[in-house]
Amino acid sequence: MQEQQYLDFFHAQRNQLDTCSCDMLNAHRDEALAAFQRLGFPSQKVERYKYTDVAAAFAPNYGISLRKEPFLGDFHAVQDLYGTLADVNADGLTALNTMLVQDMVVINVRAGEQKEHPVQITNTMRATAPLMQNRRLMIIAEAGAHVQVILTDKAEAGQDFLVTQVTEVFVGQGAHVELYDIEDSHERCHRFHQVFSQVEAGGHLTHVTFTLASGVTRNQTDVRLIGAGADAQLLGCAITNGTQHVDNNTLIDHRAPEGTSRELYKYVVDQQSTGAFAGRVLVREEAQQTDSIERNANLVCTEQARMWTQPMLEIYADDVKCSHGSTVGQLNNDALFYMLQRGISEAEARTLLKQAFASEVLQEIPLESLRQRLHVLIEKRFRSCEDCKLCKS
Amino acid sequence: MLEIKNLHATVSGKEILKGVNLTVKPGEIHALMGINGAGKSTLSNVLVGHPAYTVTEGSITFRGKDLLAMSPDERSHEGLFLSFQQPVEIPGVSMVNFMRAALNAKRKYWGLEPMDAGAFLKLMREKRKIVELDNKLTSRSVNEGFSGGEKKRNEIFQMAMLEPSMCILDETDSGLDVDALRIVAEGFNKLRKPETSAIVITHYQRLLDYLKPDFVHVLIDGRIVKDGGPELAAEIERRGFDWIKDEVQGAVSL
Repeated sequence: MQEQQYLDFFHAQRNQLDTCSCDMLNAHRDEALAAFQRLGFPSQKVERYKYTDVAAAFAPNYGISLRKEPFLGDFHAVQDLYGTLADVNADGLTALNTMLVQDMVVINVRAGEQKEHPVQITNTMRATAPLMQNRRLMIIAEAGAHVQVILTDKAEAGQDFLVTQVTEVFVGQGAHVELYDIEDSHERCHRFHQVFSQVEAGGHLTHVTFTLASGVTRNQTDVRLIGAGADAQLLGCAITNGTQHVDNNTLIDHRAPEGTSRELYKYVVDQQSTGAFAGRVLVREEAQQTDSIERNANLVCTEQARMWTQPMLEIYADDVKCSHGSTVGQLNNDALFYMLQRGISEAEARTLLKQAFASEVLQEIPLESLRQRLHVLIEKRFRSCEDCKLCKS
Repeated sequence: MLEIKNLHATVSGKEILKGVNLTVKPGEIHALMGINGAGKSTLSNVLVGHPAYTVTEGSITFRGKDLLAMSPDERSHEGLFLSFQQPVEIPGVSMVNFMRAALNAKRKYWGLEPMDAGAFLKLMREKRKIVELDNKLTSRSVNEGFSGGEKKRNEIFQMAMLEPSMCILDETDSGLDVDALRIVAEGFNKLRKPETSAIVITHYQRLLDYLKPDFVHVLIDGRIVKDGGPELAAEIERRGFDWIKDEVQGAVSL
């Protein structure tokens, strides 16, 4: 029972949790506790968790540093929305996060407001002992609002970290939200990020998930298109080596007519690492004239590396245009040899080809400055320090 | 410059080259002709070190060094260049990055500093003009979306950038119309230094009208069975290959 230590912690610290938090978060703890007691950690028998061993990740003894002062903030405007997309009764991890979370970030963009610059939240984990963090984020773009949010997730080397994060994104009528979630941590980090989004009529959501470096990562990305003509673009890229594990589990739920969705996830899986992608596109009966394309492409660089891919398309409407597909392959040997013949070393040729593979996702990224930054970060990632000139230039 | 002795090579266990002998001196152009499956492309692939081909016997000396002991990229640095029959498209790798990686790898091999970005771009501009390669093409991914003719011009452009001492043109004329063929061949002639050698693999006289080989060799069933001057190519154009086959078989049966 890996759950017990978290229940014990909760009961022992309930008072401090409540005292140093806010009413909105406290109001959901009891329901979350009951749900967690009932559901526990999702086992690998649960379809959406079959590629990642959650209980194993939560087994070690992590410290949780609690707030020592009250969490002040006026959440009246958003309190009716909190927890409406992230259903504690549907998922044990959502329940655990809701149970333990003490503070949160809310980005609320008023109707019609256009944010000129992106909002960036950088999370750098630093600790002297194994540490668990429970994070919560809400993004609310009211009708016609426009906002870009960048999350960068980092961790100092040499320590074990465990993160649960639940993010709820409300895209109002005709609103435009771009959410960039970039993890650049290390092998001793475990991260479970669940993002629940909802897009109203004519709204647009771009959700980009980059895993540049990590230990064990599971990203769950659920999007509901609830109004006519709602549009979602999901992009993802994972680069793994060593014993890293990255699992992206997505659901695009077309609940209204004329919705469009585009999904592209690419993995470069090297050495003994493992990647998993499961993407379900659900087109409900009322979602006529849905237009959806889902694609997952993977480069598996060694015999030991593993990639699981599971694109799923489930259609109950009869007038739709949908496609889904996935590929798993190796570097193109003809391209490799062509480069060798021109004098490019094999190591360099492989690096260039891997970068090229990942760059297809970059090309889709609307935020120009971030696209360029990611180009550099990807190049850094693929190069060993010896032949990298990036720090010097 | 290049000395091939009794070269035997297999691909997937099947012997394709069965004892090729060929010597190319600096500045010479050798045409290699023969029907499909004779081993022409195998020979060019073996020369550049393609991993699918295994040399089972014989030797190749290039500029006094044992070519077979070198990796493909080392062979390139030593001055060997293959103009591919079917140049590969490499989506996502820009021509600029590709060419810069190639050129700087060669400079590093010869103990030179990498070329700075300004000088490199200037060099690219100069060289692409010679083969009338559009600026738009050099700013794209390698060969991506290029027409057949553009791909072949791009091969000659890369040759110009790397300044090899030995070029292998593997059916550079295939898939080209008359004008494209002229641009490619004239580009090659303009870019070639007097001491640059070439092995030109072709089925046709057309390309040889421009490139003017010093020697013509006929490869049949993995061996060079006939050598001659430019007049041999003209004769093959007129009469095909059958008469050579008959001649060889006649010689064997005698």
